[in-house]
Amino acid sequence: MNKKIILFAAITTLGFMAFTNHSGGVYKTNTGNINFFSHTAVEDITADNHKVKTAFDAETGKLQFSVLIKDFEFPKALMQEHFNENYMESTTYPKSTFTGTIDKMSAVNLAKDGTYKSPITGKLTMKDVTKDVSTIATFVVKGGIVNAKATFTVNPTDYHIAIPKTVAAKISNEIKVSVDADYTHVH
Amino acid sequence: MIRPIIILIVALAIGAAFYGYNTYNKPHTNVGESEAAETLLASEIFVAFDTNEQAAMALYSDKVIQVEGELLSKDLSNDKEPQILLKGNGDEGFVRCGFKPTELSKVLALTDSSTVKIKGICMGCNGSEELDLLGSKDVVLSNCIIIN
Repeated sequence: MNKKIILFAAITTLGFMAFTNHSGGVYKTNTGNINFFSHTAVEDITADNHKVKTAFDAETGKLQFSVLIKDFEFPKALMQEHFNENYMESTTYPKSTFTGTIDKMSAVNLAKDGTYKSPITGKLTMKDVTKDVSTIATFVVKGGIVNAKATFTVNPTDYHIAIPKTVAAKISNEIKVSVDADYTHVH
Repeated sequence: MIRPIIILIVALAIGAAFYGYNTYNKPHTNVGESEAAETLLASEIFVAFDTNEQAAMALYSDKVIQVEGELLSKDLSNDKEPQILLKGNGDEGFVRCGFKPTELSKVLALTDSSTVKIKGICMGCNGSEELDLLGSKDVVLSNCIIIN
């Protein structure tokens, strides 16, 4: 009888721990940030999007992003207009997506506050062109929120983004993309 | 004879420079001062994007749209852009409205489950069925202002 009670208590405790430490399941946000930055001797160009949808599966490391191209805000309206109409054709190709994995998910202890790093690999799609992307992400776990930061570079020509010769000197071949998202456990 | 030509050339050059400067520095759309191109229910704009995204993009994107819908929740998780969610189509999707931080006090004053009228620039519909982890789809309005 005592053995049964101990077994029941152990199973209940383990079950409760698994439910409350949030180390598994899906972590998500709809308000992630993506900034891109182009630096040339002629001009710096930057834009921000604060409504990035992203989520990861803490068991498998599966990672997904979806971002609306038109929702990147530039300091100058004319830059934003050219970006959408001339380069990204964002009415025809409204979204950019990333699907990949947090390669060392097991190294990120979501149940313990701290800072962790993991390689990220996956496929970035823009304008119906898909290319491999890899980077290192830093995860900061604090009070149940998982902040992830990562940067990588994108070459516009890889995604069939045609830059006219007249403005080529103003737009870098290496656009720096910075991601900053606060994930919370959803289920 | 030469003098008037020089004056004309200088005037044209000044005019071109003025036009170029104004074009380069033209302001972003002021939603508050713009007439809504379309006025519709949040559920209607969500269904339009969910049914035919390309057609909805052509019809609504980049335009100032006024929507009316039930406020499901406020999402203040990004201090750079306070956001609210309007009911779109049950749990399948929502209309996500983003505000400038200067509008935060007005956003905070909204009551959950009340019917609100919002005006903002339509950016499209974020999320997709293929991205299973992301869950619901959101029709997105930016630079929003609250009408009531």
